[in-house]
Amino acid sequence: MIGIAIHEESCRGCSMCIDVCPTFVFGMDETAGKASVKEAADCVGCLSCAYLCPSGAITHTDYHAVMNFYRDLDFSQRVARFL
Amino acid sequence: MSDTATEIQLQRGMLQETMTFMGALAYGLEQVVGRGSNSVGFLAGKKLGRQFTADAPQQTDVNAALEEVNRILKANGCLWEFGPFAPQGDEAKKLASKDGVSDDTLIVFKECMIRQSLFRFGHVQKGALCSITHGFISGAIEGVMGKPSELEILHAGENACLKRLHVKEAKEAEA
Repeated sequence: MIGIAIHEESCRGCSMCIDVCPTFVFGMDETAGKASVKEAADCVGCLSCAYLCPSGAITHTDYHAVMNFYRDLDFSQRVARFL
Repeated sequence: MSDTATEIQLQRGMLQETMTFMGALAYGLEQVVGRGSNSVGFLAGKKLGRQFTADAPQQTDVNAALEEVNRILKANGCLWEFGPFAPQGDEAKKLASKDGVSDDTLIVFKECMIRQSLFRFGHVQKGALCSITHGFISGAIEGVMGKPSELEILHAGENACLKRLHVKEAKEAEA
């Protein structure tokens, strides 16, 4: 399962992660005025939240990181065969 | 420079030129045809997907069909890696049904050569090139299951995309 965490002190409560997440992983902690991870199991590892977060407060672990295919010979060959 | 490094440079150069050309073509199509460019891309991809799975063994189960398509793509050297996604939360579960009634399949695309090309050359996602991809997968599923299907992009992310697959039943397809 993908691990996802919000650095509490870094979060400004802008709620952009809540808006961008397609699978509703985040919720807003109204008392603290900060985002919180509500349903970690639903994270698909798109990393949109991590890219969008202005504070860089969101981190993922155990996710499949996409490689740049044009830097890898095997991937390049697979794409070239398709083309 | 080693043979491998030279080979990588050659392959990389060829791919970059081809993808630049494809990106320019898709951009031009979007400018001229507008929103209809997605349909053009979808139909082009669908035809290709059907061709890829023309001789594939038929499947009745969606998950088995996805596995079969994955296997065929790998055998043909395609850089697409995807799998079904089963949401746990109540809100996310609603994603698996467009109309609130049908039970669709959510798919997460991890590796996608189109996404990587779009980012590499600064093009936006969900355009004509993305439509070629999801037309392709839709056509491939159709080829394996013998039923028409629709694939909708729910979210185009930086590292993965979420899509919803709806396989139409015979009555629905006739309508």
